[in-house]
Amino acid sequence: MRKTSAGWYMLFVFPLFFIFSTVVLAPFFMGIIYSFVSWDGLPLNPKTFTGFDNYLKMLSDARFVSSSLRTAYFTLISIVAINVLALAFALVATTSLKARNVARTMLFMPYLIGGLILGYIWKFILGDAFKALGEATGLSSIFFNWLIDPNFAVFALVVVTTWQMAGYVMIIYITGIQGIPEEVIEAAEVDGAGFWTKLIRIKFPLIMQSFTICLFLSISSCFKIFDVNLSLTGGGPYNSTEMFAMNIYNEIFSLNNYGYGQSKAIAFFLAAACLTLAQVVITKKKEVEIQ
Amino acid sequence: MKSSKLVLSKIASMLLGGCMILSGCSGAASPNASENSAAAAAQPDAPKVEATAKIVVFQSKVEIIDQLEAAAKDYLSETGAEVEVRGTTGDDYFQQLKTGLANNQGPAVFSLAPGSEVAQLENYLADLSDLPFASDIAAGMAAVSGGKVVGIPYTVEGFGIVYNKSLLDPSSAASLETFTKMLQDQRAAGINGFGLSQESYFLIGHILNHPFAVMDDMEGYMDKLNKGEVKMAETPEFQEFAKFYEAIRDNSYNPLEVNYDKECGDFATGKTASIHQGNWSYGMFKDYDVAFEMGLMGFPIAGNEKIAVSVPTVWCVNGQASDAEAKAGKDFITWLYTSQTGKRYVTEEFGFIPIVKGMESSSLDPLSAEVSRYAAEGKTIGWATNLYPAGIVDVYLVPAAQKFFTTSMSADEFLIELDAAWAAANGR
Repeated sequence: MRKTSAGWYMLFVFPLFFIFSTVVLAPFFMGIIYSFVSWDGLPLNPKTFTGFDNYLKMLSDARFVSSSLRTAYFTLISIVAINVLALAFALVATTSLKARNVARTMLFMPYLIGGLILGYIWKFILGDAFKALGEATGLSSIFFNWLIDPNFAVFALVVVTTWQMAGYVMIIYITGIQGIPEEVIEAAEVDGAGFWTKLIRIKFPLIMQSFTICLFLSISSCFKIFDVNLSLTGGGPYNSTEMFAMNIYNEIFSLNNYGYGQSKAIAFFLAAACLTLAQVVITKKKEVEIQ
Repeated sequence: MKSSKLVLSKIASMLLGGCMILSGCSGAASPNASENSAAAAAQPDAPKVEATAKIVVFQSKVEIIDQLEAAAKDYLSETGAEVEVRGTTGDDYFQQLKTGLANNQGPAVFSLAPGSEVAQLENYLADLSDLPFASDIAAGMAAVSGGKVVGIPYTVEGFGIVYNKSLLDPSSAASLETFTKMLQDQRAAGINGFGLSQESYFLIGHILNHPFAVMDDMEGYMDKLNKGEVKMAETPEFQEFAKFYEAIRDNSYNPLEVNYDKECGDFATGKTASIHQGNWSYGMFKDYDVAFEMGLMGFPIAGNEKIAVSVPTVWCVNGQASDAEAKAGKDFITWLYTSQTGKRYVTEEFGFIPIVKGMESSSLDPLSAEVSRYAAEGKTIGWATNLYPAGIVDVYLVPAAQKFFTTSMSADEFLIELDAAWAAANGR
């Protein structure tokens, strides 16, 4: 019996393992090797081994440093915006509201639109439509082309990312809230707990698992943002919205510095891994279980 | 138990479905193959060697992709050799090409921009000096690497100021002062005098060509600039250019809010008197009922009256391809530029300005006719754009231009930004 199940196990795991190792593990380790050379990515052109030069160069690359700091800032604002909104949506969508199913569908829908298309749609809204609105209403201090103002362009990215992600994250919160046993809430109500007390003392601790998942998802996807960045602002105006991933893309594919770009990518991986690991460890500790 | 059976049957049906899809594909492919062999059989006197190598042509010029496919069909019926045309819709042609070449899956024939692209891929290019018409190509137009011809030019293209003849007289915008006055006058009349657009080359890439190209030794200057021996901020041509740029910023719309479509649309409808474009943009005006005559004039920097004319793209043959494939590729290019059918495609269907001796075109659009006229009169300057360091336009020049158009920085400060961009692109 045990033997057959091991066979089945192998059968079903092998395809996935094979694909994972050829498209993720192998390129990853090859990437580490390439990060130590100076090369333009074409096999017939020379590769020169440069040791840790690529990594040292990163520290004095002002554009790279500022784009990574900007990514951290963007991630921070976005995860707050995404999670606060998603939680609020989830709380509304789990009430006995009649339109709750329609609301869930509508809120989830932006997630189904690809990031590139989303970026182009919002480019039109925040650029042309906002400008026209400002001219028509006279409120040109709010309604102007957000995408050519360096400060507002970052917020434009936050708005679009939030709009895209909030519905998805909401679904996870909804599952968490629906998993709370009815009697616990009732008991709290009998004890005289109001809305806020119930929310903070009863619901939050019991949906801590959802927090772990949602924070993880939003941190990693905001930190790695690329498609919306490319189509909405293209890094402009004057690099003020160039995020981590885009900086790496430009280094490798526009400037042909394959080795240097690869070392940036390794740094990017380490930063993303540390950030999400730290978050998972912290929120895991706060999780409680109903005995 | 029941549920596991259900799952199994589901998996089985999925597998079956998959098989059917696969067989469907191969079923669709096979009649095609027999068709080809039938076509080859129908041409008994066609050279047999070519029939063995089916080649892939991958090229970047989106405008001619349908016409090139039609040409490949005619080529098949005339010679029996099969050519598959591939194109791309995005801006990542060069990237896709490099990926293919790096994995030894490159096309037999592909297109490149002369200059830095050819230099980067020189190890991958076959020698084309032995093509029968290589010596008939207009002087200095073929891409050369290490003394060998490696790229056959598509055509020549020219850019400068495309202007509306009923709104603008070239002699009224022939210097910085008159150009600025023209912008102000047009603005007072409710018309935008001169337009750029937000795309990297239309914003800065092309227009920055002029201060380089009006110099006597453009290549020498570029060399020194790359090495950091000269500065744009201290070069009179660039000082004048920055003042032009300032006049444009202060007297016309903000190009960052305008895309290529709108730039051309505004020009075609008479809202803009002139735009910085080339003869390729004529296709954009076809959708409009253009009610005026248009012309092409030089960008009036340092009294310049010449337009920038050069080769945008060249045909290359993959040096890594097998001998049979390389030969088939060369044969196709030769057919395109020497046979009756091929020449008809190049001149009439592609709308190319001829660059090979013995080719003539009677149906040029008005802007291409202007380019042809300037070229015949010798009133042309070169393209520095092909000599720019790789990637500089998108990664470094565009941010500098965006900063210029969104702040009130001065012409001098702008030149300092440009110098910094050049230094960064050269790794300094």
